[in-house]
Amino acid sequence: MLLAGGQGSRLGVLTSKVAKPAVSFGGKYRIIDFVLSNCANSGISTVGVLTQYRPYLLHEYLGTGEAWNLDERDGGVAILPPFATQTGASWYAGTADAITQNLGYLEGQDAEYVLILSGDQLYRMDYEDMLATHKANNADLTVAVMPVPWEDAPRFGIMNCADDGRIEEFVEKPAEPKSNLASMGIYIFNADLLINTLKEDDKDPDSTHDFGGDIIPKLLAAGKRLYTYQFKAYWRDVGTVASFHEANMELLGAEPEFDLFAQDAPIMSNSSTLPPAYVGPKGSVDDSLVDNGCAIMGTVEHSVISAEVYVGKNAIVKDSILFPGAIVEDGAVVINAIMAERSVVKAGAHFGSADEETVTLGDDAVVEKGE
Amino acid sequence: MPKAIGLITCNYTTASKDDVFSGRPVASMPYLGRYRLVDFALSNLVNAGIRNVGMIMPNNYRSLVDHVGSGKDWDLDRKNGGLFIMPGTAFGTSRTGARFLIRDLVQNREFFTKNKEKYVVLSTANFICSVDVKKLIADHEASGANITVLCKRASCDGNIDVVTFETEDGRVKSMNQGVKFNQLAFLDYAVIERELLLELLDSFAAIDHLDLFEALNSEYGRFRVMVAEFEGYMKPIFDKNSYFKANIDLLDEDVLTEFASGTPIKTKAHDNPPAKYEPGCKVSNSLIASGDRIYGSVQGSVLGRNVIVEPGASVRNAVLMQGVVVKTGAKIENAIIDKNNVVPAGTELRGTDGDILYLKKH
Repeated sequence: MLLAGGQGSRLGVLTSKVAKPAVSFGGKYRIIDFVLSNCANSGISTVGVLTQYRPYLLHEYLGTGEAWNLDERDGGVAILPPFATQTGASWYAGTADAITQNLGYLEGQDAEYVLILSGDQLYRMDYEDMLATHKANNADLTVAVMPVPWEDAPRFGIMNCADDGRIEEFVEKPAEPKSNLASMGIYIFNADLLINTLKEDDKDPDSTHDFGGDIIPKLLAAGKRLYTYQFKAYWRDVGTVASFHEANMELLGAEPEFDLFAQDAPIMSNSSTLPPAYVGPKGSVDDSLVDNGCAIMGTVEHSVISAEVYVGKNAIVKDSILFPGAIVEDGAVVINAIMAERSVVKAGAHFGSADEETVTLGDDAVVEKGE
Repeated sequence: MPKAIGLITCNYTTASKDDVFSGRPVASMPYLGRYRLVDFALSNLVNAGIRNVGMIMPNNYRSLVDHVGSGKDWDLDRKNGGLFIMPGTAFGTSRTGARFLIRDLVQNREFFTKNKEKYVVLSTANFICSVDVKKLIADHEASGANITVLCKRASCDGNIDVVTFETEDGRVKSMNQGVKFNQLAFLDYAVIERELLLELLDSFAAIDHLDLFEALNSEYGRFRVMVAEFEGYMKPIFDKNSYFKANIDLLDEDVLTEFASGTPIKTKAHDNPPAKYEPGCKVSNSLIASGDRIYGSVQGSVLGRNVIVEPGASVRNAVLMQGVVVKTGAKIENAIIDKNNVVPAGTELRGTDGDILYLKKH
């Protein structure tokens, strides 16, 4: 069950028109590609995607799921937006509530285990391996955790564990953390336990219907077997403009920590078929990612350029991320910026600077010269 | 319901002995970094709303079937209709020029009887061009012709494989092989009423070793065959030089713009990362497909998917097909490097302007 309904409000104009999981990333992808590819590469063939905030682009992008080999006759991708019933209609009130409202779907799948995922994180994980740990521990619930720097620990949900990985205590954003193992918001539940717990939680008037805030503390109190699964590879939650910019820039350079070119677990995407990128006679590209369908007539340095971007003659793009269809007209300068889909920086205009924080331009927005 | 069904004959060879065509049928020849030649015919038909397309296959059809699959990438995976993979006759068309061999059409007569659309649009895979087939059908209807053939006046002497028509007031009088300056070169796109095609197939049964338009040579007085003139970028591909030029041509911004202004050319989707330009690389005047990794220098070249140009390597005026690796310090100039070749460190592969070097598929 993939939670993809979040707004991602800290991304500002980047999510003014699309849900965070549908935000463009890495020149060719949308953020949700990473989790869907993990599912496909882990042999998971049934994925329910829970959507809520501005779902149109996300729904269109997911389609039948065929881009991730998830168009299966039995199972495959099911898109699960909030819906009305005979007793009324309500939005998803929390992460757990979103699943509760779709228990009908979940029960219909007849699954033994349920993997709960977030659609807005960047990492490569083999969920099979996590499931093997879950089974080996004979656990009721396994929570994926990763060690974070001690000074950052107060920003996360922290798991205090025994040596064998059994969770003894869960503290949300502790002022004085006893451990630096942060929950990644990735859970494997025994299906029956999940269904029963959600049904009970639904009746609890004091619950906020959140996995971290309500479900995990309740299961701990009930003495259930909760274990951690330690993940030590690259993982990013691109919650802010700064972290989003940084995660894109981390894809560049000679040996990036997260390698898009790794063959064994390819990141799949639902991209359109476009001609190769054209680098013009006076064009130059250095230390960058450039997708198909682009025309680079000017200079691009240390940037991530998505499909069908146009960089005009004598234009300069540096330390920036350009989403599909963005246009930098002749002589314009874009530095340390994120330009969302189809946005335009007009001829001769300047947008962003190296000395200030990363600036963002929303979908279809235009920067005129002199602005 | 669309007005027409489409047919693409993919089972003929060219007069050229260039080994650039030896490894695969012309229709599955890689083009411009990410297409196969058949993409143009498929896209032109599909972009006109046609959803019934038959492909007459060559004997060595593996690469072609691998490429088109179920036809999904061209919206040809339909419940009814869609893509029909059809056999060619036993010996194929080994003869120059015959690209609509009557016996191939007769053998697949069922394709023309079971589909009930009014017209058949005939095409091949040899021409790089973005054709508005909808307009071609409209022109055909407006002129009241029996058959409409799409042509372009040749800007120079051309290939023996290209068919030309002699006309009077736009009406075809005869058909010939080979093209000279200012003649009307046939782009292998034609519209014909399905019922008329069936009649012709029956009446030409005794001369089924001929090309349809060749067989019509004695009948151009009886049938009104009209020319529709094509405007826009067009390149016939029948030998190594025209293949090379059709790639390199597109490095001119104006040509590229003209090429891209036509209807979109669809092709098989692949999961490649974006192309990665490493620090210190030098790329100019080139077309770079996704999945490429460039450390060295690339100028005036077309690079297919998943090509690696290592540090200190240089690629100039060359066409590199998918998966080619140019090792450290290697130099490539005036060359076509076919799929998956690894050019060893320090080696030089140089052709000349007039004689392009070709390194065959690894």
